[in-house]
Amino acid sequence: MKKTIPLTLIFIAGLLGVISFVIPHPSYQVYDEWIRNDLLRVLSAFAVVLALGSLLRVHFDKIKRKRKNWQFSWLLLIAFGGSAVVGLFGGVAADGVLPTAVGSFQFDIQTLYENIVIPLASSMFALLAFFMASAAYRAFRVRSMEATLLLVAAFIVMVGVLPMGYSISKHLPGFVQWILNVPNVAGQRGIVFGIALGVVATSLKIILGIERAWLGGGE
Amino acid sequence: MITILLCALVGLAPPTDIRVFDAPSDGGGVIVVEWNLSADDASIDGYDIYRSDNGIDFSKVGFIGKSRSSYSDQTEDGVVYQYKVAAVSDTLLAFSEPSTEIASEASWINVGKINIYIAMVIFGGLILYFIYHARRGKKLFIRKIAGLQAIDDAVGRATEMGKPILYTLGLGYIEDIATIASLNILGEVAKKTAQYDTKLIVPNADPIVYTVAREIVKESYTKVGRPDAYDPDSVFFLAREQMAYAAGIDGIMTRERPATNFLVGYFAAESLVLAETGAATGAIQIAGTDALAQLPFFVTACDYTLIGEELYAASAYISKRPLLLGAIKGEDWAKVIIAAALIVASVIGLLSRFPILNLFQ
Amino acid sequence: MKLYERLMTIDRRIIYGILLGVVTLPLIFPSVVKVTPMSPVEKLFTAVDNTTNDKALILDCSYSPQIKAEVEPMAIAVLRHAFKTRKKILVLSLYVEMIGLATRAINQVVEEFNSNAQTYEDSLIYGRDYVFLGWQPPPIVPMLGMGESISNIYVVDYYGNQTDTLQMMERIRNYNDISILVALSGSRIPISWVAYAQNRYGLAVGVGCTAVSGADFYPYYQTGQFTGLMVGMKGAAEYEELVEANYGVKGRRVASEAMLSLTYAHLAIILFIVIGNIGFFLHRRRK
Repeated sequence: MKKTIPLTLIFIAGLLGVISFVIPHPSYQVYDEWIRNDLLRVLSAFAVVLALGSLLRVHFDKIKRKRKNWQFSWLLLIAFGGSAVVGLFGGVAADGVLPTAVGSFQFDIQTLYENIVIPLASSMFALLAFFMASAAYRAFRVRSMEATLLLVAAFIVMVGVLPMGYSISKHLPGFVQWILNVPNVAGQRGIVFGIALGVVATSLKIILGIERAWLGGGE
Repeated sequence: MITILLCALVGLAPPTDIRVFDAPSDGGGVIVVEWNLSADDASIDGYDIYRSDNGIDFSKVGFIGKSRSSYSDQTEDGVVYQYKVAAVSDTLLAFSEPSTEIASEASWINVGKINIYIAMVIFGGLILYFIYHARRGKKLFIRKIAGLQAIDDAVGRATEMGKPILYTLGLGYIEDIATIASLNILGEVAKKTAQYDTKLIVPNADPIVYTVAREIVKESYTKVGRPDAYDPDSVFFLAREQMAYAAGIDGIMTRERPATNFLVGYFAAESLVLAETGAATGAIQIAGTDALAQLPFFVTACDYTLIGEELYAASAYISKRPLLLGAIKGEDWAKVIIAAALIVASVIGLLSRFPILNLFQ
Repeated sequence: MKLYERLMTIDRRIIYGILLGVVTLPLIFPSVVKVTPMSPVEKLFTAVDNTTNDKALILDCSYSPQIKAEVEPMAIAVLRHAFKTRKKILVLSLYVEMIGLATRAINQVVEEFNSNAQTYEDSLIYGRDYVFLGWQPPPIVPMLGMGESISNIYVVDYYGNQTDTLQMMERIRNYNDISILVALSGSRIPISWVAYAQNRYGLAVGVGCTAVSGADFYPYYQTGQFTGLMVGMKGAAEYEELVEANYGVKGRRVASEAMLSLTYAHLAIILFIVIGNIGFFLHRRRK
């Protein structure tokens, strides 16, 4: 029973999805819209509550048990509470019941986002440069024929895209374009075909209830 | 009247042969109007489209630039309309004859996608055929996938070292196939950690994926008879924002020093941020994604990488269930058909420059 | 520790330190490096350049703050090109959080031109030379809707003017009057432009994207679905180069200034790879 209900549900939902692709008539599309937009949104709203509950529980627990670096959990809880209050009562464009500015100092949700979240996210993004260097150093070793080919291609592209690429040889930038346009695209297309068919097969397996590892596995 | 006279004087030619039809294979509410271009098309501004529901009073419903000869009009289903099209040049208008009467209606079957239906039937049929074969006990071969082969060792290593295993599902939503495939692998990994009594950490970026992941892990622990070993806080929600999620996982990696990291699912720019931090902590890393742009990063920074469909095939590979293997066999044959079609079409296209390739548009 | 071991296991902090040095030093003392434009950027430049008087181009500034460093120079270079050659230009963003960045880019370039303008004719006038349409959610609505009528989708522009009352918009009604759309983005937005606006209305689409997402877009460039392609900081620098070389537009060239950083960073990475491989080679010979 515990398995039958979800499997039946997924079969019906999957079938309805396929049918909506075939039948454009509004009398059917209305239901499809309802499932995809309204129902899914309601479900995700519940999931958000569960998720935030999980976040808070983990950190309260960490503080209670004084686990490693538990002090930072306070930081999270304060930031969480602070931004929730500002966001819920301050309004999106500082139009809520809560004043979101003291003199020229603004702390509405947009300002918080622009001045805290964006710089932090940009810094994380910038780390990529450093990580790329160390990953390339460790990984690019001429271990085998394939690795050597990869290394040579990487070298050509790296040098070729540099401003000095043209001065090394005027054919180099063109060759780099060829590598990007032909072997790169060919490889990508191959993978994309595999992915597209994999998506079809996986969807079919899920709809038919053959794939049920997501239910905890089993026959 | 004056306008028409003016047109006659300056000789602005109207569009001719107005054809109207109900837009095919749609949800109704659209009529397509087509016409032959005005003889003065090169010098005009464009075309005004006029509509009437009584055949007498025409009012303007749209404008379209010159050298275009079709317009899709939003209509009310069941109402009978007539159309006129006027060539426009500054303030001058040259009207066509009115069209025949037409009403729009919704279609029940989308015949425009017939090529997709055929493909669906062929591929679906192939997959079902091989599943049926597998069910009858035919042995099916699946090639070795190193990344999946390594799962056992990876869990064993963590157990020996007394360190946890980190499993991240990436940024994907529940409807992404990569996420579903990753959840399948998570189920298998969780069974192993339950058996070995190894700590499992599953941080999540999406609320729905989080709830599903939690159920899967719980179910896996129950399945192997260790419900007592399941820690409800092992699966938790971390952050929805991309880089906040990455920073959070990096923090877990450096604090908890997991022996094994699984980075399986949909990833974007944070892929290398995670993989490289994991490599720095000395963990064995098994990655898998169908996000093409992130594959090079995983290949360079991780020990094993599942590329695209290898990820989807994982649950068949791990469980070795014949039904799942049958589906993979079906997929392979579908690929053979696509490859053959591509080769044939390319050869024909090259040889005769015959527009056979249009079939695939 | 043997020499080869040292070469093979350079501490990552040393790598990070050296990379930090080679990236930041050239940025502290900036100088412009000449680049040779490659064909994907040249094709985009030519397509913008060929915009006739009766048409306009659309610049879609849908880049997030995280990738501003890479993509904003592209927006500025395209705007300089368009304004210098007096092309009419429509700017928009598909997401609300990107509006601020689009405004920044427009204001900067308009200010550059107007501070040098001598006459009213020379100046860039809002509504006559350029229009900022703003933001209209969800993205698919403007993508499809502008094929029929731009002013029906953007009834008012970003500043609240009735779009169809603006002088420039009298002649610019839908995609038929657009020469090319240049989509600047780090996501899959440019592919959506192809799927909706190009497939249905035949709109030409050019793209500016981050270096990381470049590989994703090459298949579309190869098939001609993207008229041209600017990839990463280098692509932006190439466009800057074309604008200055062809039209002598002066102004700070942020991407070209970063080329030295980019060059040194690439060379540093190549050097590390070479060192690692020397170590690996010695190690193999020893065995």
